[in-house]
Parts: sequence; structure tokens; C-alpha cells
Amino acid sequence: MSLKDATLMVENVSKRFGDFAAVEDLSFEVLPGRVFGFLGPNGAGKTTTIRMIVGITAPDDGKIELFGERMSPDLQDRIGYLPEERGLYKKMKIVDQLSYFAALKGVSRSKAGERIDFWLDRMNLKEWKSKKTTDLSKGMQQKIQFISTVIHDPDLLILDEPFSGLDPINVEFMIDVLSELKARNKTIIFSTHLMETAERLCNDILLINKGRKVVAGSLREIKESYGHNLIALRCTGGDEVLGDRSIVVKVTEHADEKEVELADGVDAQILLRRLVDSGAVINKFEAVEPSLNDIFIEQIGGQK
Amino acid sequence: MRKFLAVVRHEYRKIVMKWTFLIGTLLFPIIGIGFAVVPALLFSLKGEPTRIVVVDPSGRIEPRLRSNLSAESIEAKIREAAKNSSVDITASQEEQLKKGAGQLATGFVFIDHDTGGKTDDDIRRDLNARAAANEIDGYLMIPADITQPNVRYEFRSRKAGDFIANDTLEDALNAAVRSERLAASNIDETMLKGLSRNVQLQTLSLSETGEEKDSGMLYLASLVIGMMIYITLTIYGQVIMGAVVEEKETRIAEILFSSATPFQLMFGKLVGVALAGLTQLSIWVGSIAALMAFLASQSDGAQLLAALPNITPLMLVYFFIFFLVGYFIYASIFALIGSMVTTVQEGGQFAFPPIMIMLIGFYFCFAVIRDPNSSLSFWVSIAPLFAPMTMPVRILAEMPPFWQIALSIFLNCIAIAGLVWLAGRVYRVGMLMYGKRATIPEVWKWIRQA
Repeated sequence: MSLKDATLMVENVSKRFGDFAAVEDLSFEVLPGRVFGFLGPNGAGKTTTIRMIVGITAPDDGKIELFGERMSPDLQDRIGYLPEERGLYKKMKIVDQLSYFAALKGVSRSKAGERIDFWLDRMNLKEWKSKKTTDLSKGMQQKIQFISTVIHDPDLLILDEPFSGLDPINVEFMIDVLSELKARNKTIIFSTHLMETAERLCNDILLINKGRKVVAGSLREIKESYGHNLIALRCTGGDEVLGDRSIVVKVTEHADEKEVELADGVDAQILLRRLVDSGAVINKFEAVEPSLNDIFIEQIGGQK
Repeated sequence: MRKFLAVVRHEYRKIVMKWTFLIGTLLFPIIGIGFAVVPALLFSLKGEPTRIVVVDPSGRIEPRLRSNLSAESIEAKIREAAKNSSVDITASQEEQLKKGAGQLATGFVFIDHDTGGKTDDDIRRDLNARAAANEIDGYLMIPADITQPNVRYEFRSRKAGDFIANDTLEDALNAAVRSERLAASNIDETMLKGLSRNVQLQTLSLSETGEEKDSGMLYLASLVIGMMIYITLTIYGQVIMGAVVEEKETRIAEILFSSATPFQLMFGKLVGVALAGLTQLSIWVGSIAALMAFLASQSDGAQLLAALPNITPLMLVYFFIFFLVGYFIYASIFALIGSMVTTVQEGGQFAFPPIMIMLIGFYFCFAVIRDPNSSLSFWVSIAPLFAPMTMPVRILAEMPPFWQIALSIFLNCIAIAGLVWLAGRVYRVGMLMYGKRATIPEVWKWIRQA
């Protein structure tokens, strides 16, 4: 897919606050219909970047294009943004709040009414329509906030820690909802600290630290590029093969299996062939991918 | 524009659709009517007459006291008082006067009591017993020789708290004793009254056109106007601040900023709250107008209205303009403060400086009422921040030349433009700064950077 079709294109963007460079020369693109994981430690510049994307602040340098156009107030209506720091009017009826957010996104009143009903129904919150925020539990409030993000049927969703404050059942529920949106070819930018969730949901990953890009690409490619030298092995025999330091650097014994670290430049197939030749009985032979968590720690931990 | 209107509608509804607004709006006229009507109603309630015994050994005071407490003489006295305050008495007031006098006079019933040459202490004991038996409510002991300088008059009453009856009795007693003393000294009472009558000084202010105005009513009306502007500006300024802080405190600001421009949001808020304020004001002004119309239809109310300063439609237009000017000046200051602080409580502390400025402006009103043409009045009525309070009062006291009003509006509109610009810059940065209150140097940095 060419860059022209990208939902979002960020090109050499920088943002400084006084002497502090929050984002420096950052470039990436988000393709339509994909879930894009935007990861990084606290203070990495994620929120600053997102605020530039949604048009709250403008970059000092570089350019941001959405749907092939330069960012403008009109384009804000095609984005649904769920900030990490978010809230609702305390003493206002849910339906009134949602109507207001819809009106601010340029949705007509009759259409807003339909969509509010649809989403409250989808979120199982129908009977809370005329209640006030203070009557709702924190999880319910999170769902209402999510509705306010999608009420104008945006093409691009930017969700910053969307699952905070939700119990595991509701997290699964929300993942289902996100899958539905993805199936409708919506693009989702997803920012989180929960690597397991990111690993489950994201097609593409961007990891930034100190305002700069650290790792970028599809989840598949990234994992493959990090995970070629670890093998999970369960077998009987073949001990002298595993003791050969020219192909195996280290063997770690786990409860019922071994983790084998291959020497640099040694293909897993060579080890497998040698083990079979040595007459070992192999029950499990798996190239282990590092988890996103491992990659995160490896990349950020060292730099910190 | 559509988003701007959405913000206006939202802010307007948020205020107007609340119970507190409804109660606050309706309460003002109800309290006003209450203050006017309830005391009059209560005082017209007739209490039980006070039954008294007058013990007068000399027999010279009691007849005079009885005549002083008769309906006719009380009426004459009230008429006299009314004449001194230079109010003409109309036909219906005449009626009321008679009614009031009759009420006061019937407030006392004289009971005869035979003292039978007993000592004062014995008489007291007898009368105390009669009071205990609920035959009388009180008794008045008049000393035997009233010509002595330090003699004591004694009034003992079970209803000592009835201050109206007590006052009436004391007045009547004073008059009776004075008449007796005058008669004893051979001085003609009516002659003395005529000689010691007060002069009548009526104060009228002269405008440049030579038109006369009643200064007492002018003072009152100016005060009411100044006060109303001061109070509404304070209240709605705080409403703005509260609304801004709420959106910051609940972190709604970030969602809003990703949907509309900060200028749309802030200006929409100012306009929405202004409309709510105008709704309230128009209900109040409407109810005042209705009350006026009602008073005008009553013959005695028309009297009162005639004394009011003449308010022309042009003046009302000016009042309206200066109210709006004042609102936008102070509302943008309060919006600015709201986006600097983190909680409503903190905002309350920071609201002090603008409220102080408004209060100073309100105090300048007094100087303006006293001398609307002084150079001080000129300067405070064109100065930004003060003009919204002082100019309407000055217009009411004496219409200044048009160029001064125009200059005042012009200068204040420049102030509004500057303040809205400033508040907008602080707002767009401050609203996304969570956690701690901004310091002045920080705010200065936001203004330069935004």
C-alpha cells in the first residue's frame, strides 16, 4: 500500500516546550483498517504526539497529514479521541452530555439521538440514559466516555489507555467492540502500557522513547527480528548436541522443557537436524518469539 | 459557527435548566414583594386593646391623656407629621390615615379604679392583683406633684413588649404633661407650636438643562443600579469561573479541545452564560415593571412613582450596553483565573482581586452621585474596569455629553478585546495543565508561547 493511502502520516515532526524537546523528528504512518499500537514509557512524548495529531497543539516542525490532507479543524470531526485524562460533567444527564459531544463534532441532533440510543444499547447502559454521571460506577463512566469518542462515527479512533478502570470482563467486551469497529474498516491508534493487550490487538507497533522512534513495523516483523535465537525444546537424548558450544550458547532448564539459546548465525533447522540425527526423541521444538514486554524492556530498559 | 452555537446552547441550558436558577430567579421578586407587603400586613393586624388604669392623684393629667389618645388627636398628629415631610395627602391616603389613627386609639381602654386614699404601695398591690386576675393589662402611676423636677412616672404592663402601644402611650403622656406645665406657666400652647415650627428645606438637583430632580430618590435609584450591576457581574463572573474549572478538573477540556477551537469554546461559554444572565435580568426587570404598573394603577403608588428619577428608553439602552461591556470584561478575567487554578476553592481565593476592583468601582459610584460633573467622575466613568459600574450611575445622575459615553464604550471595548485575547491564550494552555496551580511567570510564558 502506498503512503498516499495512509490514514495518518506524520513526517519529521518536532515539538519543544522551552528547552525540553518532547518530540523530535518523529515520522510514521498509520494504514487504514489497522490497529496501530503506539507504545512508550511515561514521558516518552506519546500524549504530545497525540495532541498534535488531533489538532490540540501544532507541531513546531514537520507536517501531519490525515486522510491525505493537512490537519485542519474540519478534520477533527473525523477523529474520535479518548484521552488518558478524561472525564464527564458531574451533574449532567448522560444523554445531554453525549448530545453535546456529538454537537461539538458536527453531528445533527436527530442523528445524534439515534446513535446515542444505539451505543447505549450496545454498551448495555440503556437504563442509565437519563441518570447523572455521579450515579454511575467508574466502569460505566468509562463506557460512556468511549461512546462520546465514537458518537460521530469517526474514521480514525485514537484511544489512550482505553481499558483503565475496567474489570477483565468489560475489557473483553470492549475488545469485541473494537473488533467490530475494525471490521468496519476503521483505523485505530491504540496507546497503552499493557503489553499483553497490545500484543493481542495490534497489527502494527510504534515504540518511542524520549520523543524519538525506537522500534516500528508490523508486530510480525518485529517479533521475527527479535526472536530468531531462542528455542523451546522438550526431548530425551541429544545431550552431546546441546553441549556443542559452536551451535548452542546456553541451555536453561525449565520444569519440563529446556530453553536453548542458539549461537549467532546458527539456524534453528541445523539444531533440529543434528538432534534428529543424534537419535533424540523430540516432543516439542518451537522457535520462541520474545513477548512485546521483553522487547519493550530490552529497548527502553537499557536507555533509561 | 455551528460548534460555537452548540457551546452557547450547552452553557445556557446548563445554567437555566437547574433548580437553583429557577429558585434564585423567582425568589428575588418574591422576596421583594415580601419585603413590601408582609410588614404592612402584619402591622395592620389589630391586637387586643390594652386595658389600663391611670392613677392620677392630682386628677390633672388623666383627662389630657385620654384626649391625647382619642382617635381625632392621633389622626391630627399623623397629619402633622405627614405635612412636615412635605408629602401631599391624597384621598385614599386620607382613608388609610383615619383607619390607622382609629386603630391606635382603640389600642387603649381606660378602666376606672377606686384608689380610696390608699398609699402607693397598697394601690400597686391592688392593681397587681387585678392584673393577675386578668382584669387589666397594666397601670400608669402619675406622681402627685408633677411640678417637681425628678418625679417618676411608672407604667407597669403585662404587655411590656408591645412597643407600638408603649410609644403611643409615652408620646401621649409627654404631650399631656407638657400641656399641663405650659398651662401652669400661663403659656399659650398653640402659639408656642407656631413659633417653634421647623423650616422646610427641600433639596433638588439642577441639571445643565435646568431640569429639577429629587436628590433623595436619585441617590437611591443610583445606588440600586450600581448595586445591581455589581452583584450580577460578581455572580456571573463566578459562574464562568466555576464552569471553566469544572471542565479542567474533570478533564473534559481535552475532549473539547479535540472537537472545537479554544476560542469557540471560551467565547461560546461567555455568550451562553451572558444569555442566562440576561434571561434572569429580564425576568427581574419584567417583574419590577409589572410592580410599577401595579403601583401606578393604585392612587397612592402613583405618588411614589412620580418621585422616581425620569428613566428614558435611551438610558435603558445605555445601561444594557454597559452591563454587557462589564460582563465581558469581568467574565474574561474570571475565565482566565479559572484556567490557571486546579479547583473551585483555589479559584475562590484568586477571585479576590477582580472582585476588589469591582468593589472600588462600586464605591466610585458614590463620588459620581455627589458630583457627576467633576473631573474624577469623568475619569472613572471612561476608565476600563470601572466604567461598567460608574457610567450608568453617572448617566442616571446627569446625562453626560454623548462623546464621553462613546469614548467610554470605545475604551472598554478595547479592554474587552485585549482581555479576551489574553484569556484565550491562557485558556488553551492552562486547561491542559493538570496537577498544580500555575504561577504568574508560567502564565506569562503561556501567553507569549501560545
